[in-house]
Order: sequence, then C-alpha cells, then structure tokens
Amino acid sequence: MFVQEGCVPEDLRPGIAAAVEGICLDVLGAGDVSIEWTVVARGYGFRGGKPSTTSLVRGRIPDGCDRGTRARFLMGIADAWRRITGAAEDEVIVSGRDWSWAG
Amino acid sequence: MPFYRCLIPKGSLSYDQRERVAVAFTDVHCGNSTAPRSFVQVAFLNTDGSGEVRDSHGQGVMRYSTPFFIAGGNRAGRGEAVKGRIHDGLIERFCEIAEVPRDQVSCQISEAPASWTMEAGRILPEPGEEAEWVGHGASGG
Repeated sequence: MFVQEGCVPEDLRPGIAAAVEGICLDVLGAGDVSIEWTVVARGYGFRGGKPSTTSLVRGRIPDGCDRGTRARFLMGIADAWRRITGAAEDEVIVSGRDWSWAG
Repeated sequence: MPFYRCLIPKGSLSYDQRERVAVAFTDVHCGNSTAPRSFVQVAFLNTDGSGEVRDSHGQGVMRYSTPFFIAGGNRAGRGEAVKGRIHDGLIERFCEIAEVPRDQVSCQISEAPASWTMEAGRILPEPGEEAEWVGHGASGG
C-alpha cells in the first residue's frame, strides 16, 4: 500500500487490512495475506505533476484468475478503501499482478 | 499507472526540484503516449543504501548501483521505440533538473496488462484506447 502522508490515518489501517484479507479470501480463496504500508512524505508524491492525495494498492494474486474474478477483486478492494477512508473514487488505484508475472 | 518511484538520497532534491521532476515525467510519459496526465503518479522515496528496492507489487526486487534510481511500472502494450523514448526521456529530464551526471541515474520499468489495474472504479484501458475511457468518466485529481 502506498499512501500519501496525512491521507490515511494509522488507526484506519487495521480495518483496511482486515477488509483486504476478507476480500482475498472471499474472491480469490487466498487466506495468506501480507500487507506493507509505504507512506509517501508530504511534498514527495505527485499525480499529473501536482501534489497527490491518491493511494495505490498494489499486490500479487494467484495466477490464472479470469477477468471477472480479477475485476471483482479489484472493485472489492477499491470499494472497501473508499468506505473506510472516505476517499473519492479516483483517489484509490488498485492493481493485482499474477504471482508469477515477471514483467 | 504509470507509477514512477524515484529512489533518491535523503535531502538530495528540494521541493522545487521534486515538483519539476514530477511535471517533467508527466510531460515525457504523455508526450510519448496517449495517456492522460492524471494517470502519471510520481513518488520520491529515500534510498536505504541497500542498492535494491522491492517491486511495487511486493514480489521480487529491483537492483541498482547508482545513487539515484527510477523504478517504473507501466501498462504493457507499447512498442519498443516508445518504451525507449520514455525510459531515456525520464533519465534525461531527471539529470537535468536534479543537476546530476547521467552515470548517477538508472531506470528500470516493469510492465503488466492494463486489465490488471482499476482506477476510478474502472479497469484501465489498453494503451491507445484512453480517449474512450476518459470520455466515459472523470479521470483523476
């Protein structure tokens, strides 16, 4: 998880982590989830050349998900993030690469 | 996407330089592609001296031996010439703005299918198909 300093309070992070774990289990059947937080310091994160309030959720998921399953996973994370943090729809970007992807 | 992480020694760039680099990276990326400017994410992170940084998706590491390192993540599907211009343009502009020699900066860009990323509640478009995607909803702040 990459978050901009001041945008996602620390006390919300356990709830986010729990939501992500639940979605991984429900949608992907994956119960072993590891989450790390990287806080981009104020004045160090930009979007389109302007100071950013956008969070990026980036992770690896089991190989072989069909398009629909991956979309449900991504949408589940995005919806949970917005519900918990109050972020706008365009303030969270979620991506899930195949575990074995080496691109 | 794209997401460009600039690994820099602590205190090496002022806010003005970081902002100018972020604008320049947006110019380089969007000048060589059809991506909207709001797609371009740039984060500056301090190097820890290890010479490696974890892939932004949490698996594997990128290794580097220069004081400054640009770790990018883009959508797949562009030709080699475009990718080369983006790669070289990022380094060139970074060196110019940070006032560091070319041999002090390296860059590695990984790629993944557009359909593996969701932004603003929608799956990202393939490179070159952004106009329709943007036309069907707001993109970015």
